[in-house]
Amino acid sequence: MINVKIDHSKENSHSKFELKTVLETSRMLVESRDSAFIINNLLLILMGRLLVTKAAIFIHDPVKETYCLKKRKGFDKFQEGSHYNFELNSEQVNQSYFELTGNSNLIPSADADLNNCYLFNLRTSNNHHGYLLLGPKANNRKFNPEDLEFAESLCIISTAALVNSQLFTELTTTYRNLDRRIHELNTLFDLSKEFNLLVDRDKISSIFKFALLGQLFIRTFFLIYKTGDSYSLLASSGAVTKPSQKQIDRIFSEADEDIIVVDDDLRNRHDWINKSHITTLFSVTIQNERVALIGVGERVNKIPFSDADYNFLKSLANLAVISIQKTFFLEERIDKERMEEELSIAKAIQEGLLPDPIPEIAGVDLAAKTISSREVGGDYFDIAEAPDGNTIFAIADVTGKGVPAALLMANLQSMLHVLLPVEITLSEATDRINNIIHKNTPSDKFITFFWAKYINDHKILRYVNAGHNPPLLLRFGEDEFIELTDGGLLLGAMETMMPYVQTDIQLNSGDLLVCYTDGIDETMNAGDEEYGTKRLKDCIVSNRDKSSQEILDAIVNSVKEYSGNKFSDDLTLLVLKACD
Amino acid sequence: MKTFKIEQRNSDGFEILDLYGELDAHTASQLEESLKNLISNHKSNIIVNFRELDYIASAGLGVFMAYIEDVRTIGGDIKLSNMNDKVYNVFDLLGFPTLYDIFDDEKQAINKFLSDS
Repeated sequence: MINVKIDHSKENSHSKFELKTVLETSRMLVESRDSAFIINNLLLILMGRLLVTKAAIFIHDPVKETYCLKKRKGFDKFQEGSHYNFELNSEQVNQSYFELTGNSNLIPSADADLNNCYLFNLRTSNNHHGYLLLGPKANNRKFNPEDLEFAESLCIISTAALVNSQLFTELTTTYRNLDRRIHELNTLFDLSKEFNLLVDRDKISSIFKFALLGQLFIRTFFLIYKTGDSYSLLASSGAVTKPSQKQIDRIFSEADEDIIVVDDDLRNRHDWINKSHITTLFSVTIQNERVALIGVGERVNKIPFSDADYNFLKSLANLAVISIQKTFFLEERIDKERMEEELSIAKAIQEGLLPDPIPEIAGVDLAAKTISSREVGGDYFDIAEAPDGNTIFAIADVTGKGVPAALLMANLQSMLHVLLPVEITLSEATDRINNIIHKNTPSDKFITFFWAKYINDHKILRYVNAGHNPPLLLRFGEDEFIELTDGGLLLGAMETMMPYVQTDIQLNSGDLLVCYTDGIDETMNAGDEEYGTKRLKDCIVSNRDKSSQEILDAIVNSVKEYSGNKFSDDLTLLVLKACD
Repeated sequence: MKTFKIEQRNSDGFEILDLYGELDAHTASQLEESLKNLISNHKSNIIVNFRELDYIASAGLGVFMAYIEDVRTIGGDIKLSNMNDKVYNVFDLLGFPTLYDIFDDEKQAINKFLSDS
């Protein structure tokens, strides 16, 4: 009786101890998020409680379809971290635990004596997670049912805790990845705001560099940017040495894929890339044109770049490159605006060089006008009073158009006005002007020049024609034009060898003189035909009875109409009609 | 928003940079200037104190990446201290604790310098 009683209370306290252990373990395990701790505890508690000297835990790897040995005590034949295949029959698979016999071939790849060992299935109600291999008791006794029940309970609790810890790890990883993405987005957002405000290329490149270094955790970086047909290094960091222009050109033209992972072949061919420890190259393409090449070194903590990293780099690079492009466009626009402003000032200056209004001269009805095909041009006319009280008329055409022609035209204008008060003949003055123009201008620049002095008292027109389209003189009552061709070579072609000839013409009331530049007769129509002197003469004849201004307007309108309102050259007209 | 600024002081022969406000793409160049200055004057035992820094962007972290090697080459180091949780989280997120010594307090950074030398 007594014995039985003692046995009974012993059994009672034993099971109480077990219950307490299970409870405490369960609390400890559930609170733990560390799978290594959980596995280690499962082994230690079981080994201590059941007097076992060897035990091991295998966790199922769903990808490889194998079991990875996470932790072992004893079982020297097994290796932690190695993967094993378990061969269980269909009955064993569903059992919570079972005993192994000497001839068991449970783990074929391991040459281990598993006689008298137990295999516990580590599972939750839904899923299988692995196995606990439990060695025989040290005292060679059999496991009793309480032992097995205790081990089974502990396996269930530990498996649940393991699943928890895995979930927790996954969640933490997911959360951190999410946090990283959010941080990347913030970086992109920050930089797009910042880049918008910046017009300084170096500053944009530098901010781009720092953001990339910080976000990707790298030290080595370069940015090559293409402007027009040339490539230049805009920023670099870390081991990147200064490349020669040739090295820049070669790597840019060769690295023509979106992402290139640098291999030995590329390292051998590009010493600069090799020495700079660049491991990946990225091209930035905007509107089908490769405009930038970015090189980065490996991450400082050696973790390889992920697709997410590549995507981030690409977004950031696009943002930076577009902003850099913007700075170039802006500079071009500023240059263009400055040029336009200067041209409009030049136009005003040039207009100031022409007589305005056209002065009234006794005895002649006078009209003159110049139209430039561009802001400024090379056509010139002038009407000025000489010291002797007579009037000088001039018309000229500088070869070429635009600013170069305008400069030469201004030069001619100033010479004419300097020579005006000097007491020399028209012929001598032309000689001098020619010599100066010849000396001062490139050999391919010429001026055709016609000028005349109208001597009021005698109604005489004294003229010199230096290679200019002959002005057309239509005498009153006649139908044939007289062309005023006398003079000499155009200005600037060669030094004056033969003096320019001056010729006097007597003007009578109603005589009409039309001086023009080649913008009139060489104006083309849509069919590429010139306006020509015939049309000009016809126009003059049919308007001969009108005033000088009306004749001038008629000619301009006729040419305008002929060309379809497009003037490709400067044109100038000076119309003079003798009156009573 | 506090404006970003850097104050430089010397403590026991160590160069301390106190950062204030927000270190972002816009202000990163100021930090770059300070570090470049210290390096060119061969002052390489540098502690950056983040106590008054409210925010840091990737560009700010990039400046540390760009100059850590230069500082270590001349025998020094950049140690970081007194970060608030938000700022530390960014450093941690991008892997910086593997490359930099980060301390709760400036004094610990100084002690580390002393025990290393």
